[in-house]
Amino acid sequence: MHTDLYNFIINKQHHAYRHTVDWNLGEEYSQKGLSPIERMADRFERMTNEEKAVIFPNEQIVFLRTVANLPDCFTEKEWEEIKSKYYIHELGYLSNLSPNYYDTIASGLLKMREDADEYSKRSIDNIIKLSDKYLEEAKAQGREDLVEVLTQVPRYGARNFREALQFFRILHYALWLEGNYHNTVGRFDKSIYPYLKADMDKGVYTRESALALLEDFFLSFNKDSDIYVGVQQGDNGQSMMLGGLDENGEYVFNLLTELCLEASCNNKLIDPKINLRVNKNTPKEIFTKATHLTKAGLGFPQYSNDDIVIPALEKLGYEHNDAVNYAVAACWEFIIPSVGADVANIGAMSYSKAVDTVLHSSLLECETYDEFFAKVKQEIGNECDRICDGIKNLWFVPSPFMNVLMGCNVAEGSKYNNFGIHGTGIATAADSLAAIKKYVFEEKTIDKATLLEAIDSNYEKHSEILPILRFEAPKLGNNDDFVDSIATELLDSFSQALQGRTNCRGGIFRAGTGSAMFYLWHANEIGASADGRRAKEPFGTNYSVSLFAKVKGPVSVISSMTKQHFENAINGGPLTLEFHQSVFADEDGIEKVGSLVKRYIELGGHQLQLNTVNTEQLLDAQQHPENYKQLVVRIWGWSAYFVELDKEYQDHVIARQAYTV
Amino acid sequence: MNGTIFDIKEMAVHDGPGIRTTVFFKGCPLGCVWCHNPEGLSIKPQLMYKSKNCTNCGKCRIKCEHPECEPFGRCIHICPENCLSISGREISAKGLAKEIIPTAQILGDGFGGFTFSGGEPLMQSDFLLELINELKNYHLCIETCGFCDSNTFKKVIEKLDFIIMDIKLADNGLHQKYTGVGNGQILENYEILRASGKPYIIRTPLISGITDTKENLDAIQKIIDDSKWEKLPENTMAGAKYNMLGLEFPLKKTKQP
Repeated sequence: MHTDLYNFIINKQHHAYRHTVDWNLGEEYSQKGLSPIERMADRFERMTNEEKAVIFPNEQIVFLRTVANLPDCFTEKEWEEIKSKYYIHELGYLSNLSPNYYDTIASGLLKMREDADEYSKRSIDNIIKLSDKYLEEAKAQGREDLVEVLTQVPRYGARNFREALQFFRILHYALWLEGNYHNTVGRFDKSIYPYLKADMDKGVYTRESALALLEDFFLSFNKDSDIYVGVQQGDNGQSMMLGGLDENGEYVFNLLTELCLEASCNNKLIDPKINLRVNKNTPKEIFTKATHLTKAGLGFPQYSNDDIVIPALEKLGYEHNDAVNYAVAACWEFIIPSVGADVANIGAMSYSKAVDTVLHSSLLECETYDEFFAKVKQEIGNECDRICDGIKNLWFVPSPFMNVLMGCNVAEGSKYNNFGIHGTGIATAADSLAAIKKYVFEEKTIDKATLLEAIDSNYEKHSEILPILRFEAPKLGNNDDFVDSIATELLDSFSQALQGRTNCRGGIFRAGTGSAMFYLWHANEIGASADGRRAKEPFGTNYSVSLFAKVKGPVSVISSMTKQHFENAINGGPLTLEFHQSVFADEDGIEKVGSLVKRYIELGGHQLQLNTVNTEQLLDAQQHPENYKQLVVRIWGWSAYFVELDKEYQDHVIARQAYTV
Repeated sequence: MNGTIFDIKEMAVHDGPGIRTTVFFKGCPLGCVWCHNPEGLSIKPQLMYKSKNCTNCGKCRIKCEHPECEPFGRCIHICPENCLSISGREISAKGLAKEIIPTAQILGDGFGGFTFSGGEPLMQSDFLLELINELKNYHLCIETCGFCDSNTFKKVIEKLDFIIMDIKLADNGLHQKYTGVGNGQILENYEILRASGKPYIIRTPLISGITDTKENLDAIQKIIDDSKWEKLPENTMAGAKYNMLGLEFPLKKTKQP
């Protein structure tokens, strides 16, 4: 890693090379009557023409965005028309795909051009043209090394590690420039390792020099990420998948995997987002190595369990060779590189809203808890009906360059066209049901009308029951079957409600355990809840315990949160555990956290994400943001610079409980 | 028989080999000025009050029917902010074993064992021995100040797998001054420990100007010779819990000029 370049980038000095364009493309295209794919091909051409080649001293991996904005291809009026005819997911452009960079890196763009349609050909020609600008700049700067690299790629296949990294950068850059977003990285170590190995065998690199190059490559993910779209800064989907089984059942963990963990740890930057696939046979040493990265405080790696994910994907109809090749979308949704056009985050179902609805419609008339829960289950089904029935005629803007890497017109779908639905607030719902079961139906210490009045008044009335419900009632995360089994039933109800449905593209619906930003949005859809949660208090993120639940500790939490049937609900969404920095103080502590993760995997957990936090530091950072510009925290499926977040996200991070030693 | 504990901590990573579950016994014969677990000093249940979130609503002062609240004149179940709690609960050895064994089962091979800490577990040695008896199949460890009669000490360590023992100050007078007791009994027990053949480690908390002096550390080194020795950095949060007990952090006083 070149420190000067690193500092240059993190201090945002490269922003000086940016400009914006004020083209009204939508209007122009509309007047010319261009089709969507013509518009995308034309915009890409203009953008690549507008881009300038900028190469910084010592920069090994080049390509920088110098045009900071991307004018829309459609007018607002056209979007209105489109939306009246079609279901538009988020921005309407393709996102959350795991493109097949790696075959192109091996064969070169000229080879890919042979079978491409006219739009894709045009896009390939344009990115090569931009690459040639870089080649000329490299010549002008006397950068013989870069001249050699850029003479080969992207026209022809990469011959070595450096060319492979540069080629990846060009392809990834092109996808962003085309207007696709949340462009994920896929199984990087598995695919790129052969280039590194060949170079290592030839003695081109030492371990150290290979790491330095990789760090520069990782830095390149952070050069333009501030102009990529997302809910908050950092939500940009540059997820990298490491480890995991290959098609022959061998576990991939090579030198490149190790170097990726180290590069992320050394760079301490929020991109790329590191995921690690493991299974019950993964050696303890790998968990220890990964925990060193956890210690760095970026919220990486996020683990996923091959033992659970692969069979679950097969159960959903994915072919074995595709299922073993899974990666993650922007956050944690399991998707298949190259052949998957799944829309893994198309909707979200709120468990807590289902409980709240039934509470108000039927609590008074229910005589038993079972009767009450049956209605909740039915309401979850009704909610799934509303969500699924609302998604008809899905349409995406076609992307000629994305098509090159996906091998088809992916806007219209691919081999897999399944839709993923998140499930939010499971802990709030399970805790609420547990409280209703215990106090209303079993012990009968709180009567129905009192509970309803208390909830509807946000516990202004009957305030004496709040501390009981909030602090003394059974809570998910304590290895208590009374409430853990309710979470199991909720997740089962959700997955059953989605089973057997066909979506508008002929695919299925997948139930998930993620929340994304819905832990805030859905929490505001209901008032107070029966678990003693006051109105407006957020849910936990993803598959986590409630924010204020008193839990015994992380061991009980992993027990509670691995009892459910993830084989039926594998859209993705991790359990999150927060550890205080002091846990990682020595090698011994790091190994022990690693063995807790290993145990979580052995117990059949599906996905786990660990954070290193120091609450005192976060509070101080709110007061003195100027001192904490590089402080990174995990949000829901991505990490961000704490001081750049809106306060409500900051407060949520602070409210999560950290386990100390 | 029943004992009194004030906490159970899952995933203790600094209390012996492996991931452990640590039980904190309430009551300690020492009173170190730097103690960071002041609720472990007295064996009696104590009211803990977190003032930070208190809105002075007064609900806790309204008389309630809970027998556990009676000694404190406050209801601990009514606070909407959870400001009040009782530190210390009585539990039988069998009941405690039943409560903590699940963590061992969850962790399987990854479980290191149980650690008894405090407070001072040897202050409730009969209860401790009963508990040890309930946990025979596990790796057991103690964190002790070493202050108890030698027979008891011998009897307990015989049944344990690993001993973490403090030697805080080598000088008897300073020990008396800063911990409230002399170190004669402790050093005598240290010799018993050394002769026992049990694996052990000596710990010294480094308290600025008190235990971290060159004089003290050299003297401890002389006593413990080639024993494994861990020096614990000063806990910067040490004073945090005193307010909650309505006490003043003695070290703060000591350090004032």
